[in-house]
Amino acid sequence: MSGISTENYIEEAKRGISNPVLQRALAGLQDRFGRGTAEAYRRLPEGPDLRLKAHEIRETAIANLDVLLEILADKIRSNGGNVYFAETAQAAVDYCLAVARRNNVRRVVKGKSMVTEEISLNPALEAAGIEVVETDLGEYIVQLAAETPSHIIAPAVHKNRHEIADLFVRKLGIRRTTDPPELTQAARKALREKFLAADMGTSGVNMACAETGHITTVSNEGNIRMATTMPRVHVAFMGMERIVARLDEYEIILRLLCRGAAAQTMGTYASYIGGPRHVGESDGPDEFHLVIIDNGRSRILADPQFREMLYCIRCAACLNVCPVYAKIGGHAYGFAYSGPVGAVVTPLLTGINRAKDLFRGETLCGACMDACSMNIDLPRMLLALREKLAYGDPQWQVEPASRSEGLAYRGWSWFIRSRRAYELGLKLAAAGQRLLPRKNGMLRRLPPPLNGWTRSRDLHPLADETFIARWRRTRKS
Amino acid sequence: MRKITLFIQCLVDTVWPHVGEAMVRVLEGLGLELDCPTDQTCCGQPAFNSGFRHEARTAARRFIEIFENAGTIVSPSGSCVHMVRHHYPELFKGDPLWRSRAERIAARTYEFTEFLVDVRKVEDVGACYPGTVTYHDSCHLLRGIRVSEQPRRLLRKVAGLTLVEMKNSDYCCGFGGAFAVKYPDISAAMVNDKVDHVINSGADTVVGCDTGCLLNIAGAVSRRGLTIKAMHIAEVLAHRR
Amino acid sequence: MTTPDQIEFVRRIRSALGHAPDIPRGVGHLFAAGPSTEDVRLLEAVRRRTAAERQALLEGLAAAARPINLNVTALPDSAYATTAIVRLVAAKTPEWGDAKQIAAWRHPLIDRLSLPEALDRLHVPVHVTAPIPTEADPGFDRIERERQRAGIIASFVGVTSADFCLADTATLVMRNRPGQPRSVALVPSIHIAVIHLDQILTDMKELFALLRWDEHCRPEGLSNYMSFISGPSKTADIEATMVHGAHGPREVHLFVITG
Repeated sequence: MSGISTENYIEEAKRGISNPVLQRALAGLQDRFGRGTAEAYRRLPEGPDLRLKAHEIRETAIANLDVLLEILADKIRSNGGNVYFAETAQAAVDYCLAVARRNNVRRVVKGKSMVTEEISLNPALEAAGIEVVETDLGEYIVQLAAETPSHIIAPAVHKNRHEIADLFVRKLGIRRTTDPPELTQAARKALREKFLAADMGTSGVNMACAETGHITTVSNEGNIRMATTMPRVHVAFMGMERIVARLDEYEIILRLLCRGAAAQTMGTYASYIGGPRHVGESDGPDEFHLVIIDNGRSRILADPQFREMLYCIRCAACLNVCPVYAKIGGHAYGFAYSGPVGAVVTPLLTGINRAKDLFRGETLCGACMDACSMNIDLPRMLLALREKLAYGDPQWQVEPASRSEGLAYRGWSWFIRSRRAYELGLKLAAAGQRLLPRKNGMLRRLPPPLNGWTRSRDLHPLADETFIARWRRTRKS
Repeated sequence: MRKITLFIQCLVDTVWPHVGEAMVRVLEGLGLELDCPTDQTCCGQPAFNSGFRHEARTAARRFIEIFENAGTIVSPSGSCVHMVRHHYPELFKGDPLWRSRAERIAARTYEFTEFLVDVRKVEDVGACYPGTVTYHDSCHLLRGIRVSEQPRRLLRKVAGLTLVEMKNSDYCCGFGGAFAVKYPDISAAMVNDKVDHVINSGADTVVGCDTGCLLNIAGAVSRRGLTIKAMHIAEVLAHRR
Repeated sequence: MTTPDQIEFVRRIRSALGHAPDIPRGVGHLFAAGPSTEDVRLLEAVRRRTAAERQALLEGLAAAARPINLNVTALPDSAYATTAIVRLVAAKTPEWGDAKQIAAWRHPLIDRLSLPEALDRLHVPVHVTAPIPTEADPGFDRIERERQRAGIIASFVGVTSADFCLADTATLVMRNRPGQPRSVALVPSIHIAVIHLDQILTDMKELFALLRWDEHCRPEGLSNYMSFISGPSKTADIEATMVHGAHGPREVHLFVITG
């Protein structure tokens, strides 16, 4: 996998924070979708507790993943489709290239798929001389701008209408306008030509249903339908965990997906694809390929602590409530997945040490879990990742991040066991405190490693007498 | 009711003891007898949140030993109560003896406003505080303990107090313990948003139930040279004419 | 029928789950042998639907349609539908180019509208997407498919029916069949759907109960491609501003024949 920049979290976060366009866009996004999704859950006939039922459904599916994937593959093959099981990102990309080559594919249109970002599909197709066009409007904008998406559902949330107008003038040669309907119309026209001329369409898979042997794709724009109907070949990329057993279970997942993703009761389009076109049908792809991807997911599956992360349906509801994401934006997470889901999935897929800022750089506020359409306990897994980083972990190849921090906490655990030792430590701290600069009674500067606090805040000093000392003095006689 | 045992929280104990004093005044004002184990130090949350479970377990064992024979335990910190209730049993998952000791204590530990409203069934403690107040929902109190109405009910019964809601009162203030020190830019952005929301609400005072949050907000207020007061709800409830 | 990549992949999953990697596991507990009590209740509710209940569903559909810009009109019979469609075709201007042409499914409800004759007066050709004979040789098959594709692309209106319509989300449900290509409801700028009142269901739960257990629906199941369409296409990717008309049709008109 290429395109991983999780090491730049702090730097990119700073950039996001100082970008007023991004700040306004993210605040608006969370106002609209974060609050909207909560309201949509409340309005469910079953109420927000439907998420708990969905959790059980996904738990059962993951616990039976071997069985369900084999049933799905069998049904799709019986229906004339092809199924390839890709252990690695490279295997998935190579398979797609082979399909493209066999079918003389020169032009590809893509429906939005985070897993194709994860496996870096686009660069590989382009290197083979194939034109790749993203067709989700947000992805299209991001592609024209040669950037990466910053949100799972709203990839171009970081761009305002002026930037998009400039981009379209430059790349599409249109007359300058900042009117969203006009800009959308320009993209509609440009992409229509691409849809009709494309040899191959790719998509992700929102959820597969084993019982019926279908993969489903959901969109509001219709681009996924266009990309998977008009070209003669359709390749669908599926994270191996995106499956449920039964259609009545799928119904619950779909209702929650639409609410979690965009506070909707139903997306405009949901397509259930079971294979290529049949004889006698006049449209639809001649060939259908489903690429089921592992790329590190089986390792997550094998760890009972993290298996729950595979219940995720990538609705992005967590992004829409995360107070950290709202400040730093999606690019800080340095990989296909941003927000709270990225904070757990990215370290597990790309390296826990490498992506340590993702799961340390938030506050465990818990808003993500409440918003999660599948009620996934993200805070629990963030803590579990922190534990791995604290002590190291051979199974996940984690080196302890900071021996000095470990020593400090070991020392601390000694101090807090004895009130006497504790108060001695406080006396020393109070003595040191006298050396620190003050203003209006507040500490202005703390020494490292605590100086981060006072970069932008003052701090109340330690009190002259602790509550306990006073209690001892005044109450115990 | 038997004695109420105070679980005072390290931050209140060492930085803002006046919050503890205020809590004592309110509880004694209701006719309750109080006790405070003077050996208590810290519930272990800082170590736990940084992933240092062994060290957190050490603190937890000490806590359990100190508070084991107490009756009802009340604390002015939602995050500490969450630690004891939710994480202590989990910390001793593989140790049935310690686990049951932890569970027994967890069942008797309450956050201050939760205790007043849900256990004591009191909303009017006879307080008076003239001012326009907005309430900040601390994360662990809100989402961990599920307490959000109780502090508001208490505040509404304070004579002279006008309660206004601010935008995103349920958004994290950016404290997060070590986070504020390790990721200062993000933390600063979050706390400054919080302070802006307080200002825009028209309140002159922001009230919360967690000293960590309040120190964070108060620190930002001070650095920005603002006159907004950041107070623990115990201080408001202890306020008299 | 399995492949080496599948064998390796599934073995890895079984190991990860703590099972013997080479022993396939049973599926019985995951799937239902027959309809649940809830499924039976849903099937009964559909079978016993009264005229009053159907009317209520129609009203629910109209209410759900409004916020998603779906135009719903109830009409007493096919003749009214034909008139309405002719009026629409006359009034609307093509998005691409000037020539007016429409595409329509080969479907009993649509055939009854006699659109080719009705639109002949306006000199608007109607391209009916007839099923391609399954015995056709590959050459003919390819030419016919390309002809139909070109016809659909050149059409500014696509007329289809649907299998069902879900009232709570104003969702058209269309299964795939010869003579009923999915692109007719996708490529033209305007999509017109004509259904009968009896086809309106309450929600997805009823639909899935029917598709799974109803003796008429079960054989076909979902078909190899089923679409849910809820109104015209839309996007909010530019500054979170909702724009109706992204890549799919910009307008969707649903005519419900009540008689």
